[in-house]
Amino acid sequence: MADTAAGSVDKSVQVKLVLLGEAAVGKSSVVSRFVSNEFQPNKEPTIGAAFLTQKCRLEDRVLRYEIWDTAGQERFHSLAPMYYRNAQAAVVVYDVTKASSLEKAKSWVKELQRQANPNIVIALAGNKIDLVQLSGSSSTGQTASESEDEADDATATPGETTTSGVDPESLRQVPREEAQAYATEAGLLFFETSAKTGEGIVEIFTEIAKKIPIEHILAAARGTGRPGAAGGRAGASGQESSVNLDGDANKPKDACNC
Amino acid sequence: MATISTALRHFKEPTKDQLTQIYFSIPPAPQTIGAPVNPQDEVEKMDINAVLSLGIAGEEDSYAGKLYIMPPYLAFASLDRKSVRFTIPLCTIRRVERLNARAGIYALSLATWHGVKIIVQLTSLRPTADLFCSLLRDALKVELQRGQMKAVKPFVKTCYSEVIAAAGSTGPTENEREDGSLINERESGSDSDAVYHGGLGLKYKFPGDAKKLREASKVKLWTSYLQTHGRNLTLLRYPQCTRLVQVGLPNRLRGEMWETLSGSIYLRFANPGYYEKLLVENAGTVTTSTEEIEKDLHRSLPEYAGYQHEDGINSLRRVLQAYSFKNPELGYCQAMNILAAAILIYMSEEQAFWLLEVLCDRLLPGYYAPSMHGTLLDQRVFESLVQRCLPMIHDHFQEVDVQLSVASLPWFLSLFINSMPMVFAFRIVDCFFCMGPKVLFQVGFKAILKINGEKLLKIQDDGGFLNLMREYFSNLGESAHPDSSDTRARAITRFQELLLVSFREFSVITDEMIQSERRKYRGEIIHSIESFSRRSAVRNLKTLGRFTKEQAGLIYDALYRAMCMAPPPPAAPPPPTLVNSGDGGAERIETRIGLKTFKIFLSEIATWARDEKIVMNGFQQRIDRDVAEHEFIDRLFYFWDTSCRGALSLQDLVLGLDGVMFNDLMENIEWFFNIHDKNKDGFLTKDEVLTLSETFLFIFRFEVGDAYLGAVSRFMTNAFEYGDTLLPERGESGPNGEPLSPQTISPNQPYLNLATFRMVVLADEVLESFYETDLSASFKLELMPDLDLPALPANGLLGDIWSTIATDTNKKMFHAFTDEIGKTIGKHQVIHRPSIGRYTTLEEPKARESLVTPAMRHSTSKSSLRESSSTSPTLGSSSTTTLASAKSTSSTTLLPSDTGNTSTSTSETSLLSTSTSIGSSGGPHSPPPPPASSISPSTSPSVPRIVQVANAALMERTPFAIDDAKDDEDESEDDFDDADEDLDDDDQVMDEVDAFLEAHDSGLTDADRQVAKDLLRAEPVK
Repeated sequence: MADTAAGSVDKSVQVKLVLLGEAAVGKSSVVSRFVSNEFQPNKEPTIGAAFLTQKCRLEDRVLRYEIWDTAGQERFHSLAPMYYRNAQAAVVVYDVTKASSLEKAKSWVKELQRQANPNIVIALAGNKIDLVQLSGSSSTGQTASESEDEADDATATPGETTTSGVDPESLRQVPREEAQAYATEAGLLFFETSAKTGEGIVEIFTEIAKKIPIEHILAAARGTGRPGAAGGRAGASGQESSVNLDGDANKPKDACNC
Repeated sequence: MATISTALRHFKEPTKDQLTQIYFSIPPAPQTIGAPVNPQDEVEKMDINAVLSLGIAGEEDSYAGKLYIMPPYLAFASLDRKSVRFTIPLCTIRRVERLNARAGIYALSLATWHGVKIIVQLTSLRPTADLFCSLLRDALKVELQRGQMKAVKPFVKTCYSEVIAAAGSTGPTENEREDGSLINERESGSDSDAVYHGGLGLKYKFPGDAKKLREASKVKLWTSYLQTHGRNLTLLRYPQCTRLVQVGLPNRLRGEMWETLSGSIYLRFANPGYYEKLLVENAGTVTTSTEEIEKDLHRSLPEYAGYQHEDGINSLRRVLQAYSFKNPELGYCQAMNILAAAILIYMSEEQAFWLLEVLCDRLLPGYYAPSMHGTLLDQRVFESLVQRCLPMIHDHFQEVDVQLSVASLPWFLSLFINSMPMVFAFRIVDCFFCMGPKVLFQVGFKAILKINGEKLLKIQDDGGFLNLMREYFSNLGESAHPDSSDTRARAITRFQELLLVSFREFSVITDEMIQSERRKYRGEIIHSIESFSRRSAVRNLKTLGRFTKEQAGLIYDALYRAMCMAPPPPAAPPPPTLVNSGDGGAERIETRIGLKTFKIFLSEIATWARDEKIVMNGFQQRIDRDVAEHEFIDRLFYFWDTSCRGALSLQDLVLGLDGVMFNDLMENIEWFFNIHDKNKDGFLTKDEVLTLSETFLFIFRFEVGDAYLGAVSRFMTNAFEYGDTLLPERGESGPNGEPLSPQTISPNQPYLNLATFRMVVLADEVLESFYETDLSASFKLELMPDLDLPALPANGLLGDIWSTIATDTNKKMFHAFTDEIGKTIGKHQVIHRPSIGRYTTLEEPKARESLVTPAMRHSTSKSSLRESSSTSPTLGSSSTTTLASAKSTSSTTLLPSDTGNTSTSTSETSLLSTSTSIGSSGGPHSPPPPPASSISPSTSPSVPRIVQVANAALMERTPFAIDDAKDDEDESEDDFDDADEDLDDDDQVMDEVDAFLEAHDSGLTDADRQVAKDLLRAEPVK
């Protein structure tokens, strides 16, 4: 999925994406899992913001994500507008083992909905689900084991604890249903993820890619002819790409030969 | 953002005295926590012109400068303020002698603890010199009495420089690796000599390749410098010192030099044992900061070996926690962990703690504060400097909408430590501690320039910019001139070039320039921070009630102003509750105000909650505004405190106001009733009826005429009448119009219900109109002129003068003064402004009648509201707003006949007349207006020069400086040609040292120099 499609630079659509969320929920880890498929347990806190890019192929289009990974500590909050201005997508991350992080996530969502680009696509990601899953079930078939876990949750939990010492699910402070319900209500994409195992990470970016009004971005880039205008941060190769895509627009099926 | 802080408002520009203290890194007085300060011990400060010579002939030039006595320190700075300077604690001065020299020359010889002799020639007039000497003598005596002299010896032992200077050894000793770390940790622990402080590097090695860093040569150079120029507490900083720092400090000495150069050593010296005590006293304390620290401990330089072990982590935890205990308001900010982790490699915990203090407090002021105002301010300053010096780049960035701070913010916040390879970052840190914050700007500038305009001018977005910078920083170790035929030139790394050119070409960026830029933008930054937190506070409200966002903003403004005047205690997390709140998560910390602040808040909003007196005294008319005190206000406070915390949040205030401001007649009656129904049983007791009547009287207290008084008395009569009538068991006794005697009904018995109360109220026209419109209308969301709160630091000259003159005390004094005169000439008149002001029917003196009718007030308020929305949210911050609105006030409310004074004095606003009168009467409080040149010349003349330099640098690559510098001074190399093997290394270090050579003006003529030389041979006077 995540694929550095060389040679397709001209055809790529640039999408500015910003990561927000409380400190130490794993924003940077989510990005580094997505961008370089790596996980580093003790990552230095982000100061200000980090910037990374990753290309992503969706059907016949190549998206180039420009990812702004922001600092989480409350006092860096006032810097955030600098990074989310003109963003077309946002991933708001919380930590499933920390209830307060969801509250913070909600306040980010509220701020984004009021202050950011009106068409912004927002995804809510509950990270660190590896911590609330039984060890060993984390690498493969997560979805299955996860739903099992949750089914077990109500009934079998007392029995489970005897086998594995501490039941991992007991660490969970944010029930999936609660976050899901909130996300639906607020109109967000929703995922539970683990940057450590990689679960759910690529899905976020794929779903965002599907939901992004790409034509809109292209139109904006074309319309202004100058990157930087509202919603038109198609960026460096904005002009070139718009020209190419212009030609391609007539027969989109042929657009992607890679 | 549920907390609201007014701290920024209280910022004060440092005084000249403080600036001098800051320059010399002298800890501010209250910092001497350990030693009790006896006011009698305070010795005066003084400075005097002097010429400094080192007591060894030929070792150093003599320098003219200023000698300062700032007990308990003696300090010196050469005229250019950078060539030579020292700050030495008086207790390290072991001997002072007056020298017997040529007639007319007044010279002192000072011997320091380290046996270094300094000769200072006092070049001021004789009486001044005498005075200085006597001050010095007194100050020394005080130090002796305090026993500080004895503290020096044990303290000095904690410094590694003593080991170096004593051994005089060059190579690593047996127990040291080449990089200066110890081979066997335990051995050093048991070694009784090794009491000096050191960092994790001793055990876990120092970053970088010792050979490449040429540690041995550096240690050798420093050894000889420290032996002749003093060390730790008594270090004299000559040009050579700065140059050696620029070449990079040797690992082993780095920590100590950092604390010496930054001045944190003086804090450690002045507060022995403080760090340990702080940790012990706060053991087990858990705060938001400690929790945040915990999250980041394993995320601080994780690749360094010391932080993969528990002891490294524990040290880091203790230092960061200790700082958060010391400065709870700042607490902990991400990036501090990186700084602390970095300095702990080179220093002990205690050293690191004090260095952190100096960093957060003095070197990077406000960088890590909750609002991060310092960071934002310096980013703005940086941007403006780029705009001035590199207009091409600035314009391009504007065009492609790239923000400089996306890259530069982390540089400043973490001193480049995680922006470039550590070995290089540490060298920038070396220079930063030695030369101050301007280094960050200089290096930042150079870094930007170095990328070279061409590349920068091609970038199209933030991402491209960041990538470019990242690439540049990661290649710093590579040769700057890989294609050069000269091996020497090839050996020069990009980093060396970066550093050299930063200091050479951007030496025009001075501390003064940064200071004045900061002054220029501070108001703007504070304003944007304030409006940001205002926006988010309003956004974070769970409900706005029936208010619009703008109105909620005005409520916020009133709250903010109240908090400026009566700051509430710091926001604390709510007490733990057994029941989890509905939203499922832990509650966020919220700012809540107590009763005292609430009263001020209410006085901003409700007309009856303030006492307004219109004072006319023949010179001026002004409105004195006081906060009213009444039980009703207390009642309201508790009525609005729905969560029973004894404190109100912004949300409580919004809901509270929502509960009254949109009410119609019936709702208002009910609201009023409920406030007075203490036990909420739907009945007022007889006492409560009385209280309610008192509330009426309170609200109507300034109403003109007796319409309201009559209404209240009718209300009481009727209330008791109906109340008695409706009492079930007494219904038969017949209404006799007289209130029943108190004995018959217990005061706590339910007496009057809402329906009856309503009936009584509606029976009276005045009260009916009060509830119908006036009560709701008495709450006004608008801005009032003439606020006595610290104004935003205004821009420009006028603002400066204004803020110096228009202090609170001056204003009060002036008011009192004019009042007195007014009284003597019989023009003094005080009128209370009514809160409601509807019924003024009864005959009153004419002057009052025409005072403020509701319609007039309405127009005033409207205009002030309009202005405020177009300018700043807080009135009084800009003088034009105040002026305009005050003018409209005066034009509508002034009575032309009442004072008989000339129109000029009456139509002036009170504020303005304050300033003019003070100015014209030449009062002692008006300082001479600072010369108009004070701001501009310090910056503007240098602008063309910077631009020139920058453009030159932008357009062409500068030839590497070493090539030019080489011929400047070669003799110092001669001293180091003993060890053949090291020769090449030493050469290289010296090359680098020489590269930093700058012209140092000693400020002396040849004749002066001769005098100074002669003094070296002079004998002490008997």
